[in-house]
Amino acid sequence: MKTQIIKTRLLSLVSISGLLVGLVVGVPTSAQAADPQCLTANYVTQCAGATSDSALYTMVAPANFNGTLLLWSHGLRPNIDIPAGIPSYGGYKVNSAAEFAPGLSDGDLTILNTLVAKGYGVAGSGFARQGVNVTQGVAANVELIAAFKKKFPTTTKVVAWGASLGTQITQTLTEQHPELVDAAVLGCPATAPGPVMIKYFGDFMWAFKTFFDPTIKGFGYSAGKLGEGEAALDMQKFFVALSKISAGTLSGAWPDTSSAAGKALEAGGVPVRSAMTLVALLAGVPLRSEHIDGNSSPVGLETAFELAYTPAIAATENGGTVGLASILLMQDGESQGGGIVFDNKATDYAALIAEDRDVYSAALSGNSATDSMLGVLAASPRVTGSATAMAKVSQLLPITGKINVPTVLMTAESDQFTVAGTAQFLIDSYKVQYAAAKTAAMAASKKSRTYTTPVNKLLPLWEKTAENYTVFSGATPDITKPAGRGTGHCKFTSNQWLAAADLAIGAAKKGSFGLGGTVATTARKVGLTYDTKFRVPVMRGLQG
Amino acid sequence: MTQINRRKLFSASAVMAVVALAASVMPAQAAGEVGVTNTSVKFGITSPKTGAAAPGYEKIPGAIKAYFDYVNDKGGINGRKLTLVSRDDQYVPATAVQNAIKLINTDKVFALLGTLGTASTKAITGPAGPATVYKVPTLFVNTGFSGFADKKKYPTTFALLPSYAMEAKVIAKYIKDKYAGKKVGIVYQDDDFGKDALAGFKTAGLTFDVAVPYASLSQGVATVPPTWIQKLSTAKAEVVVMFGVSSATTALLGNAYALGYKPQWVLASIGGDATTIASAKKIPIALMAGAKGLSFAPSPNDSKDEWIAQFMEINTKYNPGVAFDNNIVAGMTTAFLTAQAVKAAGQNLTRKGIVAAIEKSGSTFANPSLAPLGYSSTSHVGATGYWVGTYDTTGGLNADGGKYTVYTTDSGSGAVVESTFKRPAMPENGLPK
Repeated sequence: MKTQIIKTRLLSLVSISGLLVGLVVGVPTSAQAADPQCLTANYVTQCAGATSDSALYTMVAPANFNGTLLLWSHGLRPNIDIPAGIPSYGGYKVNSAAEFAPGLSDGDLTILNTLVAKGYGVAGSGFARQGVNVTQGVAANVELIAAFKKKFPTTTKVVAWGASLGTQITQTLTEQHPELVDAAVLGCPATAPGPVMIKYFGDFMWAFKTFFDPTIKGFGYSAGKLGEGEAALDMQKFFVALSKISAGTLSGAWPDTSSAAGKALEAGGVPVRSAMTLVALLAGVPLRSEHIDGNSSPVGLETAFELAYTPAIAATENGGTVGLASILLMQDGESQGGGIVFDNKATDYAALIAEDRDVYSAALSGNSATDSMLGVLAASPRVTGSATAMAKVSQLLPITGKINVPTVLMTAESDQFTVAGTAQFLIDSYKVQYAAAKTAAMAASKKSRTYTTPVNKLLPLWEKTAENYTVFSGATPDITKPAGRGTGHCKFTSNQWLAAADLAIGAAKKGSFGLGGTVATTARKVGLTYDTKFRVPVMRGLQG
Repeated sequence: MTQINRRKLFSASAVMAVVALAASVMPAQAAGEVGVTNTSVKFGITSPKTGAAAPGYEKIPGAIKAYFDYVNDKGGINGRKLTLVSRDDQYVPATAVQNAIKLINTDKVFALLGTLGTASTKAITGPAGPATVYKVPTLFVNTGFSGFADKKKYPTTFALLPSYAMEAKVIAKYIKDKYAGKKVGIVYQDDDFGKDALAGFKTAGLTFDVAVPYASLSQGVATVPPTWIQKLSTAKAEVVVMFGVSSATTALLGNAYALGYKPQWVLASIGGDATTIASAKKIPIALMAGAKGLSFAPSPNDSKDEWIAQFMEINTKYNPGVAFDNNIVAGMTTAFLTAQAVKAAGQNLTRKGIVAAIEKSGSTFANPSLAPLGYSSTSHVGATGYWVGTYDTTGGLNADGGKYTVYTTDSGSGAVVESTFKRPAMPENGLPK
């Protein structure tokens, strides 16, 4: 009978909290007071406040709070307004509202309600600035943890989690303040060192503008509003050129905005699809995208289509995100760094693709065409970065890769924004760290005569890219169809986020991730793979 | 007594701790090698079975399986039957990678065999390729890219074919010996394939009066091949080397015939695959007559050769209805070498063990190749030479003078010399010793 009552109560709490959170999210969150404003209704307390640097935050805990807080860090929000018509971000206005669980930015309360119903506390900030905001994000989170513990003193565990740029904040928090965090989840991790991330976007944009539109600025934006306007104009130019590349993929025609060198390549018989493939290859952009699986072809064009065209089509689909992100990150990085943060004076692009060019030979139209394109890049003016500004980037994106707390990595194999190589960086770094820990444990065992194997603290979960998902409408891939599994940026389902959270919470409590079979089963149930042998290419900035 | 119990408890808890650690999130180790049981060894192949590149090559998995079935009927190797899982990649590297992942993770094969094409094999065995990531040997690959012989770069990949560079060097010697003073042209595929060949020609000191590169797939564009003929005939090339794929050879011969251009053709082995040219049905196969061609294995027409006779017999019984040709020979050679490697690796078959066995004794493995095998602890190169013959009106390649004159060389600066290699006799019934 008692059990029945408890079950009924919990059930009603679940449904009520769902409603409540849905309502309370709308409560004004502009409080500037040191102490947050709180409202308790239907067994759930929700507080809104601001940190000392005016970062807005929200925290929620149910009456049956179980002592564990999940601290969310949101991903990249541009620090400038975006012109209407730009894909994904068009019409965006700078927004610093607090975000305290995955899905909220899309209006999806599933994860929030599930966690609160289970008795967890949740919290998250909007951070004091947008754009590249790791410093501000870490500072806000440190204050937010303290504020949460003050309001809910029964807090015993803190699990930090984040998506995209939010993983830089989360990982940096665990590196700089391991005493505050018991476990972490890094979803679509952006966890490579700052210069490596800058190189990914910078190489793409530099090669793109060199071929397809030299009037795109790309680097060296003016300070202040003038620079913001230049970036906005670049976005428009970039997408115009990209749409023309898309239109010319089958015919081979280059955009009319192309550089003189690009037009000469076109006159020499190099199709635009090959140049677009090269741009993606040299940056390391995945050549499978949301609608291009790389294995499918329209009827009658089998083999030839996959070899010659699909890499370029995938590069174009993925390139939209990469180019836009490049403009945003360069403009913001330069405004914070005080100068150009990308430098490719010494980059040997031919060496970067030495292994890949044979695999993609047909897409690149053969050796002569590839050499011609590389020749154009070799002869084109390079970007000279500011030493001071580039040093600043390392401070703005300060990840070292050290794993201090049990950490779940959740990565889509063909993420075009935060490429899977960022996760591979952490995995490879941790292998070195773990080996050193084992060596130290062995050394210690000589004195103590007791050897304790170091606990594994890194759990990589992969959303591997599906094999076949391209749907054709005639000879053209239909991009209105659902995206393929393991593609796109941060497309994880609620169940995937919740599974990752469960694993991290378990590790926070027990100090380890438990049995491999159990982890694998948990992952498999939500479409993820636990495969410690799986590897993806390292990022170009880490090659060599 | 108490002391003893304490010790027992201590050791029991230590054992449990070890067990618990082994079962924790670190990857579990299988008791035996993946793909190996007491009664079987499972291999996998990804190759084009459908699509534009399939004609001819689609026979290779069937030929491998036929030889495996033959061996299995004779009791297998070291008591284990050899099985093959075959997947179709349509010659697309991205598909080949997906297939390799499935062969490794889903089908749980012991090793990959006979992957076809440089691009697909590079994608599978490159630094981030599945064979490298999962440390799965890739045996006897069907590509002449010289890089796969590089043990440092491709530590678990073994080539079967002589390299394109070797082939180019042999062709260069043949042309310099037989066609001295004549104007020489070349049509070549403008990728790693042609690049390897050009390096070989350069090393061998053969210069071309006219060189015509073509981008892969452009041979299918109707307006392109006539331009090759125009360039060759304008340069008055009397001897023309074709270093491309069979579809390009088809386009070359067909357009030359139509335009009345009749040089001495020298067809490198990949593009001189008569089966593929015939199955495309775009030109009469008789257009190959008189062209020179190369092979490292005996002619499939040579039923007097003991290997060919044995393979023909196996093909008739275990691969019924499939015409015997050079692709069947290639498949069965791959299968025989695999069986030989399994035998050499011994009863305790492991992935490391089979790699070591090939490195240690692979150069002495019996097989049909008329050129020596180059496997060693420092090189993973396969066959190391070619013989030159002449195509007849049926597309058959026949040794000039009725005798295989084999030239051997390396992929580097070594000389091309007439081989004195005496091929080991075929083991009894074509079964590995």
